[in-house]
Amino acid sequence: MRINTTRFGRIDIEAGDVIRFTSGLPGLEDCREWALLADSTNDALGWLQSTSRGDVALAVVSPRRFVPEYQVRIPRSELTPLAISDIRQAQVVVVVGQNGTGLTLNLKAPIVINLEARTGRQVVASGELPLQYELTTSRPPLKKSA
Amino acid sequence: MLVLSRQRDESIMIGDNIVVTIVDIRGDKVRLGINAPSEIPVHRQEVYEAIQRENLRASRLEPGDTQDIGRFAGRSNGSNGNASSQGKPGDGPRR
Repeated sequence: MRINTTRFGRIDIEAGDVIRFTSGLPGLEDCREWALLADSTNDALGWLQSTSRGDVALAVVSPRRFVPEYQVRIPRSELTPLAISDIRQAQVVVVVGQNGTGLTLNLKAPIVINLEARTGRQVVASGELPLQYELTTSRPPLKKSA
Repeated sequence: MLVLSRQRDESIMIGDNIVVTIVDIRGDKVRLGINAPSEIPVHRQEVYEAIQRENLRASRLEPGDTQDIGRFAGRSNGSNGNASSQGKPGDGPRR
């Protein structure tokens, strides 16, 4: 499949590399199929590119590389649609955003991907976690949630 | 909007497979039990709307905005035993 993207130009996606999000993503409900691309300059970064909308892509990272103490707890009901019983079977990534001061990570709603089945879902993690965790080099500790 | 009166332990059905039960009523707080098929996401509205806003904001990010994200990254190794450290995001096609 060949798609024209606004960020990466024209790219070819193998059918087997498409990840299906059957519920879409909140706010981007019409985007059901995505491809995970490696960033060309930064190995800590990936891009979830919508295959139906070339202008829609989300920067994603592996949260533990940026927030080592991040422990994601996800209600089982959120994982059953992915056919995952244990979070360790999944690839967990979080979406990179930007606010007035700099880059942020959405730790509250990680994206869980079943790499084998090529299905994904953005879930709501339990506990008090920020939607905009600000990235700094000084690393403020995460508040322990009850 | 359809408005129904219910007492504790009573339910309403939405379609033929979603049941919402009034579990408890205390002051101005109502506890609801929701039985729905697993493919139907159930969220607190304000949380869902906040995630919608955050996704839309994030979808405007461009590669130029993330250039120096690497300086916030630690080394990736599996020592903390978490699935997310098994691989970096981006096992998709490399450009």
